[in-house]
Amino acid sequence: MRQVSDTIDVAFTVNDETVHLSVSPDTSLVDALREDLELTGTKQGCGEGECGACSVLLNGKVVNSCLVLAAECAGAEVLTIEGLGRLGKLHPLQEAFVQNGAVQCGFCTPGMVMAAYALLKENPSPSEADVRRALEGNLCRCTGYRKIIDAVLAAANGGSRHD
Amino acid sequence: MTKTYVEAQTIEEAVRAVSRTGGTIFAGGTDLMPRWSRNLVPKPTAVVDIKGVEQLRSIKLANGDVSVGACVLMSELEAHPIIRAAAPILAEAAARVACPQIRNRATVGGNLCNASPAADAAIPLILLDAVLEIAACRPNGIATREIPIAGFFRGPGSTALQPGEVLTCIRFKPLPTESFCAWDKFGTRPAMEIAVASVGVVLHRVDGRVVEARVAYGSVAPIPLRGHQAESALIGQLLSEEVVDQCVTAARKEISPITDIRATEGYRREIIGVLLRRMLENAAGF
Repeated sequence: MRQVSDTIDVAFTVNDETVHLSVSPDTSLVDALREDLELTGTKQGCGEGECGACSVLLNGKVVNSCLVLAAECAGAEVLTIEGLGRLGKLHPLQEAFVQNGAVQCGFCTPGMVMAAYALLKENPSPSEADVRRALEGNLCRCTGYRKIIDAVLAAANGGSRHD
Repeated sequence: MTKTYVEAQTIEEAVRAVSRTGGTIFAGGTDLMPRWSRNLVPKPTAVVDIKGVEQLRSIKLANGDVSVGACVLMSELEAHPIIRAAAPILAEAAARVACPQIRNRATVGGNLCNASPAADAAIPLILLDAVLEIAACRPNGIATREIPIAGFFRGPGSTALQPGEVLTCIRFKPLPTESFCAWDKFGTRPAMEIAVASVGVVLHRVDGRVVEARVAYGSVAPIPLRGHQAESALIGQLLSEEVVDQCVTAARKEISPITDIRATEGYRREIIGVLLRRMLENAAGF
């Protein structure tokens, strides 16, 4: 059993790098990522699990990082949008979002990409229905979703997915 | 403000920590975290995280009983071969919870203990006559007790759990393969939707005649509700159009829906009948 009070020292990996943080017991993962690690690619939207903007992979599964306590991440593996690609070397999924015009204001994009990444990891050849279901927890107020779905299907069909 | 975080590894550690700290049991956090961030409830002084308790994470079929640990995730229920075979209505309800991000965190135990009248897992588990295993810390050790799910829900957000008690396991018999079972929920969109109304039915028939019937409803009463009157309308009957009508009428009478942001009382009464009728007609092969 681990019991800690006031501040908690936690170590976990973020995008394959080990991080050591001191957090309070009620700090959410999204706050730890954005405020402590300055990984601001992950967006905080609603803060209550409705919008999906803060989606990251926790031990390989897509979750809303606003609903995860940083304290419970000890020993965990976290993957954020920064872990997929960077300017000049985008992940094929990010490239497909650009090519398909799937980004307008861009606020939902990191969460969309992470949810899509989680889908393609489990199911490299999804149907359109699979894509829609995988993105059902991610809100976009700009695109109408069509181009986002096209982008994910294009990335799957391009066969350029990598882990 | 939350001062203490406890990560329990065993059921004993979990119940002892709950007793010692007076803390809140934390599993998936998908209900607690939004309530805390919206200040609907004060943050607890201590959080007791029980997800690390291995015993609470397993799905087993032993001695004719299916046992589901309280911290089994909705995404695990949805995909697990034992659940899909023994209780397809539970797998389906789990698959219709919210979205992948939530299904990867929300636990079946949390869904029950949260005691929402709309709890998606509650309706199938009522139909399965589930038994809930509960543990608590007592001066002379760890005490366990069992209660049938029928007696678990007391009102919105209220259960039969006493302070310090922890739901550990949900147990039920597999549905006989020859039984008819169906579950459905209605909402204004397919995802991220708290049910406007939900219904489930289990029928066991001999030569077409209903010998055993179970009906349950969600979001139309203060608790997830067993439909005894609707069941009575079916037992001993062949599924004729008249019997279906009688069952639907009984269902609409025994529910007590309210008007809220999702739907009006009248709409809920209507939709319960529509969902139930569809299931019974499907069972009858009309």
